[in-house]
Amino acid sequence: MRRVRGTVNRVLLGLIGVVLFGVGGMVLLGGLGLPAKWHLALPAGWPWSRPDEVLLPTRQRTRWTDQGWWWPVVIAALAVFVLLMLWWLLTQLRRHRLNEILVDSGDGEGALLRGRALEAALAAESEALDGVDGAGVVLTGRRSEPQVRAVLALAPHADPGTVVRRLSDEAVAHARRSAGLDRLPADVRLRAVKHRPERVS
Amino acid sequence: MSDEDAQLPDTRRLPTLDKTPGEADGTTPSAPDSPSTDTAGHHRVRRFWSARRVPAALVALLLLAAAGLLLYDVAAVRADRPAMAWRRRLARELATRHLDNPWVLGAAAVAVVLGIWLIVLAVTPGLRQVLPMRPAAPDIRAGLDRAAAALVLRDRAMEVAGVQSVRMAVSRRKAKAHCVSHFRELDEVRADLDTSLGEGLRQLGLAHKLRLTVDVRRPKKR
Repeated sequence: MRRVRGTVNRVLLGLIGVVLFGVGGMVLLGGLGLPAKWHLALPAGWPWSRPDEVLLPTRQRTRWTDQGWWWPVVIAALAVFVLLMLWWLLTQLRRHRLNEILVDSGDGEGALLRGRALEAALAAESEALDGVDGAGVVLTGRRSEPQVRAVLALAPHADPGTVVRRLSDEAVAHARRSAGLDRLPADVRLRAVKHRPERVS
Repeated sequence: MSDEDAQLPDTRRLPTLDKTPGEADGTTPSAPDSPSTDTAGHHRVRRFWSARRVPAALVALLLLAAAGLLLYDVAAVRADRPAMAWRRRLARELATRHLDNPWVLGAAAVAVVLGIWLIVLAVTPGLRQVLPMRPAAPDIRAGLDRAAAALVLRDRAMEVAGVQSVRMAVSRRKAKAHCVSHFRELDEVRADLDTSLGEGLRQLGLAHKLRLTVDVRRPKKR
């Protein structure tokens, strides 16, 4: 889900960037009179080729305004675009979080585990690890294939490599076993708590 | 005088210094480390990619506002209400301003710059402050903040005898330690820092090892 959103964001941002770059570049090209200077042979339909042209002549703007289909099409296209942008904006604001996890008990009966409960258990166990000051854990993914996203705040004199290994061996492994999952991928980010330099020895 | 004294060995020692940690990291301690991770991890550790939420939200909001306003006005005109002033003015400006008008050129230049920036945002990973770590288990993906790495290394450096204060600067490829030492020979302090920080770097468990530079000075005399 998160990966999909990342891809969508990047594709749309790139597309808009290309459009902006293309239109701006074409206007600059025409406005600075570069085609004439560099003897560029532009294709016949090229919109802006000479500095004395305008961005949008009235004739172009009102070309189809007296046709019956023009305004409905414009309104429909704008409405679709507005809805698309609204959807895009809302996907940024929404936080995907798993509410429940499907526990397969193995005898044909399924059970639902509340996501918050597993998150709390994971966070508590992570915080109990040596070298971890605080932990925030969120479950994402799908009900049958949950994923863990954790942010750990490292305590002073922590050993990041060991912290990650123990998190994987203890907290995540326990959660995986207790929920009866085959695998429980985890994304961990380690942050630091600012502290003053001090000597321990 | 003492300041000069402190500077001199620094400038003389730095080239060899640069070599010793590199050599030590490259051959003896990490040599058994790096092949084992290559065979165990097998695939390359990839960087963390940002979801680009903030730029996406901003662009979406801007486009939504512009398109919504235009849609409202077009619909209002269809319902036999007069068009808003900005739209008539915009149509007039678009139809009269020539392409070599400074405003048009300026707007085009801004569009080009914005376009390049959005393209860069779209194709670069971002999250430059996160250093990817070696996978501890197949299903775990961990990243260490650069600030956190710097703090861990600083704590390590502070444990070396003779070190009064340390400033750690961790970039994406290098870790630089600027230390002030108030007793012991500078060379000894530096050698201790090299081993201790080298060990610290290994314990960070990063996928790409940082190159270490250690710089030790005497405190400035008042």
